[in-house]
This record gives sequence, C-alpha cells and structure tokens, in this order.
Amino acid sequence: MPSYKLTYFKHWGRAGVLRLLFAAGGIEFEDVRIERDQWPELKPKTPMGQIPILEVDGTIICQTKAIGRFIAKEAGLAGKTPLEAAQADMIVDGLSDLQVKIVDFFIEKDAKKKQEKIKEFAEKTFPVFLDTYEKLASSSGHFVGDALTWADVDFFSLMFFLKDHLPNDPLKGYVNLSKVRDNVTSNPGIAAWMEKETSH
Amino acid sequence: MPSYKLYYFHGRGRAEPARLMLAAAGLPYEDIRLEYEQWPEYKPKMPMGQAPVLEVDGTMICQSVAIARFVAKESGRAGKTNIEQAWADMMADGFVDMLNKMADYVWYEEDEARKAEKKKTFFDTTLPEFLGYFEKLLVANNGGGGFFVGDGLTHAEAFFLCLSDDIIAEKPNVLSPYPKLAALVERIKTYPGIKEWLAKRPQTPF
Repeated sequence: MPSYKLTYFKHWGRAGVLRLLFAAGGIEFEDVRIERDQWPELKPKTPMGQIPILEVDGTIICQTKAIGRFIAKEAGLAGKTPLEAAQADMIVDGLSDLQVKIVDFFIEKDAKKKQEKIKEFAEKTFPVFLDTYEKLASSSGHFVGDALTWADVDFFSLMFFLKDHLPNDPLKGYVNLSKVRDNVTSNPGIAAWMEKETSH
Repeated sequence: MPSYKLYYFHGRGRAEPARLMLAAAGLPYEDIRLEYEQWPEYKPKMPMGQAPVLEVDGTMICQSVAIARFVAKESGRAGKTNIEQAWADMMADGFVDMLNKMADYVWYEEDEARKAEKKKTFFDTTLPEFLGYFEKLLVANNGGGGFFVGDGLTHAEAFFLCLSDDIIAEKPNVLSPYPKLAALVERIKTYPGIKEWLAKRPQTPF
C-alpha cells in the first residue's frame, strides 16, 4: 500500500475535493494542513511553487486536477473506459473554468468592483453554467455513465465551496444536478468525511 | 478504428496539442476548421458551447486538455503508470497555466495600457519563474536529455511545444537560460509524425 501525504492550507479551497476523493475511495492519507506563515519555507520544496501537493512514496505531484485524477484512479472513480475518463476530465475542466471566475471576484480588493463581479457571476455566469451542466448530467444524477466518478465529486465540492458566497440553494430547480449532489453526499466515505469537516 | 473529427477554427490555438498527439500517433482524423460565421450554427451542438471538440464515433468531448490526453492515451503516450500519468498531467497543466496567462492579455484585455503591463509582467516575472521550475522538473527525469515523463513523448510535450512556439515568437532567446528545455524543443520538432505535421500544417496567425 503506497503512502499518501497531501499538503495544503486549512481551508476547503483547492484541496477540499482531493480530501473528498480519498474519503470516497476509503483510502488512508496524511492530511497535512499548514498555517500561512509556514508557506514561505515550504514553497521552494514544491515542484511549481504552489500547493496543493501530493507526495506518493517520495514523489511529489502538484496541480490540483492532476492530483485529483490520480486519486480518482486509485479509488476507481475515473471512469470505466478511456472515453468515460475523457468525459470526466471535460466536466472537471469546465468546473475549473468556473472556479477561475470565482477566484476573480474572491480576490477583488475594490469593494465596488467586487460587488459588480459577484452580481455578474450570480446573474449571468453561474446560471449559464448550471443550465449547461444540467444537460450534461443524467437523470440518475451522474455526469459519466451510470456510476459515481470524480466529476460528480468535483461538482459537489465546488457547490459546497460556493454555498457561503451565494444567497439561496443554487441547485433549486435543477433536477439532475440536485441528484448528482445527493449521490455524492450519500457515498458512505464522503458522508462520514463531511460530518467531520462541518461539525466545528 | 474509431472515427475522429476535431472541430476548431483556422488556427493552432487550443486544438494544436491534440493535433500534435494525433500526428505522433499517426491517427487519421478530420481536421475541421470552422469559419467564424459558421460558429453560431455549431455552438449549440457542442457540449459546453465551445471549441475545440473531438467527436469520437459520435461522442463529443470538449475541453482542450481532456481531448489531448484522450488522444495521447489512444497510442499509449499518456504515461505508463498512474504516477507517470499524474506527472505528465501536472506538466501539461503547468504549461496550460502559462498559455492561459498569455491568452489573458492577448485575447481578453482590451485596454492597451493594461495589455502591455500584463505582457511585461508575464515575460519579466511569471514566465522566468515557471521556466525555472519546468527546467528543474525535466532534469529530474534522468538528467533531462529525454522527455518529461518516463522514456517517451507524452501530451506534456505537446503542450510544451505550443507554449514555446508562442513565447519564442515574442522573445526568440527566451529559452537560452534553460538549455534542457531548449534542446527538448528540437527533439519534439523532429519526433516522427510531428516532424511531418509541422512541415505541412497550415500557417496561421494564432
């Protein structure tokens, strides 16, 4: 059994989904969460000066999606065929595109510009995204085939991250997407993990 | 043999990594280049309303990195183990981060002053930092005289070639401080299949 050590900050951010994937696969891992002031010392030891990083038996991998795909494969959540794997990849990439827009308003320091960006996101960008993803999800609540993949988990993770930044339940009215969320949260490993994560 | 149709515009852009991997694999495909006037008709047919899209026996895959990785896998050029695959993926993602930073000022910044400022920051600060990482990571694979991953070309090389084309066009000696990366560019350009494609591909502005 390989040893896995995931390093990130304490918050959900970019590593939330990675921790969920380990949980979904029932895979033991060392969940290292550093303080901001520990980062400068760690940065030069990382492959591209960024975290999250995953150390697997001494090899250090960076880039969130590369790490996510690796864990998904170890957990059997990366699709059953190369085409399914590609479908999962495309869903994750689209989520990543949305995350770029989220980070953009998140880090905006000018209060007025921030409000404008949030408004644009909530009224235009996000509904267009949800409409698109509703069509890509099946009525049984999966983005790929008829089983849970990391695409579903990644979708849930981003929605969870967003819930504190948008007023209402964003998936209200989106039948397929709500089913994706339900499928993810009822995965036993994920249910147990979320219980632990949200109980403080 | 599956049928492959690659939809994009008249350009290298986000479709070129896939075209390079198809060339390396010697896989025949329909290289569909849409006119901008045709796009409103095709956009609603695409999974996320964007191009490139790869149609494989009727199934449509979008997102340039997903497409390139799929095509790479079709000829066993995506890494041989899960760890190798993760390494190839991480390198490709690093190159895409740089390509996205360039796209940001080339395509998405309209204010001329901000455009120039972003370009300067990219070439003076961001790119050197990351080329330093990339050179070190290449060297970490057996001294850097081969490829990024294992002992063969992967989609990591395809993305790297696209990035180097763009940065060298702006700044011809940009790779001189990074000798292993510079030598790798030449190895990619002479790789069987890719060499022929580079000689015959349409010359386009992007």
